[in-house]
Amino acid sequence: MIQFFHVGKLFPGGQVALDDVTFSLLAGGFAFLTGASGAGKTTLLRLIYRGDVPTTGRILVNGRNVASLPREKIPYLRRTIGVVFQNFRLIERKTVFENVSYLPRLLGADRDSQRRAAVRALQRVGLAHRLSAFPQELSGGEQQRVAIARAIIARPDVLVADEPTGNLDPDLSWEIVRLFLDIHRQGTTVILATHDRAMIERVGGRVLSLDAGRLVRDEEIRGSAPPVIEPEASPPELLEEPLP
Amino acid sequence: MSFARALVYFAREAWSSLVRSWKVSLLAIVTIAVSLFVSGVFLVVGGNLARVVERARDESRVVAYLDPETPLARVRELAASFQGVPWVGEARVVTAGEARRRFVEIFPSLSDLVAEGEGSLPASVEIEVLPGAALVGGREAWLEELRATPGIAMVDDDRDWVAQLSAVVAVVRGLGLALGGVLLGAAIFTIGSVIRLTAYLYEDEMTVMRLVGATEFFIRGPFFVEGLLQGALGGGVAAAGLSAASWLARERLGESLLGRLVAAEPPTAGQLLALGGVGAAAGLVGAVLSLRRESLGEPPVDEG
Repeated sequence: MIQFFHVGKLFPGGQVALDDVTFSLLAGGFAFLTGASGAGKTTLLRLIYRGDVPTTGRILVNGRNVASLPREKIPYLRRTIGVVFQNFRLIERKTVFENVSYLPRLLGADRDSQRRAAVRALQRVGLAHRLSAFPQELSGGEQQRVAIARAIIARPDVLVADEPTGNLDPDLSWEIVRLFLDIHRQGTTVILATHDRAMIERVGGRVLSLDAGRLVRDEEIRGSAPPVIEPEASPPELLEEPLP
Repeated sequence: MSFARALVYFAREAWSSLVRSWKVSLLAIVTIAVSLFVSGVFLVVGGNLARVVERARDESRVVAYLDPETPLARVRELAASFQGVPWVGEARVVTAGEARRRFVEIFPSLSDLVAEGEGSLPASVEIEVLPGAALVGGREAWLEELRATPGIAMVDDDRDWVAQLSAVVAVVRGLGLALGGVLLGAAIFTIGSVIRLTAYLYEDEMTVMRLVGATEFFIRGPFFVEGLLQGALGGGVAAAGLSAASWLARERLGESLLGRLVAAEPPTAGQLLALGGVGAAAGLVGAVLSLRRESLGEPPVDEG
């Protein structure tokens, strides 16, 4: 669950990034975050995973006040939050497997467990067969799916996506959004920032609109053609295995 | 993650980074190797000189040079009188002829300087002072008494030479410490710079690691181990170089005065291990200092 209470953020120099933003997103919920460039979408998302701290107000993620979290506790918060960016942020010198398995690795999983976890996450995005490929050998859509697999490998409570379709054509964008909806259906809270109004109107659902740092609309809209999600079949033993 | 497993991970990452950016790593390793080698040379030479001083202190002699006209019988009489002094081990007469022979043996090219026959160099009495006698309080008074003895032209006390050599040893050690300190500082700075550069090369990966919840220990660990590895390798190279240089010096200088002064004893295993240890510690310190204030890989700020 994500809760913002009168959150404001001023950048050094006095520029207002967010101004008195209040909203709640229930556990397992899904919301689009929209607004023009510079409206404050990225800042809002950064506050969720403690990439930044608010100037005023309070932010609770699963009941934890993230702004007052001691520095040494931040990594533990981030292990419960998956983050996906527009530009994928994959490491080119690492294989798909290595890119996806950072979290199991730092949690101390042995290589077999890392591999099983990576396969499981990649199966959910339909790329289990590209385990040994390098990012530059993949298309833009595939790279974004690898980034999503990395974000969901430890079944995070919350998934934050910052313009994940910004670098993709409409067909690939549609595929990626379907993936986020699929992940949401399996119980993860998803907040997806996009300025693609057409996409939002097609999918429908909760929409938070920012304008110059203010939350100007918080509405539920009916989608014109919401996607039908057919989850990819995965071996149950892989899905059930917990990370250390 | 257990500490042992983390260390294995750090070592693997550090090694792969060393190999990946081998040119800058080599620079760091060579810098620390040179600094430790130079410090090691001073350490070994200083140690050898100190041993010479200690030996000379224990074996110190007093030489009484006699007036040229002193008859040999008087010289022998004087030598016999010294035997009664408590700190004298042996008093040996060196005739003018023997003094000349010694001179020619040591300085063959200068043999023209000393004329054939008796009289060109003075006869002397070499008085062996027993070990520990340097501390006996009556020695100064005895030396004064010797100088005033009729027939004795000059009294030469080895302790003066030993004191001068002690000063040289102190200077060599001081120089070694100062130069070693400066060079080690430079090596730490170089390793720190190389580690910071490497960290920038890996900034994208550090960003990802922070985002997925890696702790600072996990993010910085590989860089610390890399610094330690660079330092240890530099120390190892310095130790190998020092052993080789010491062997070479003994081979080339042999039993010459210089050889005995600076290369009589090779570096000990403890000294060589210490070089490796100091190198590793310097590398670790360089890495820790270089990343102390770095916030590399903080989650990115994009437009939006």
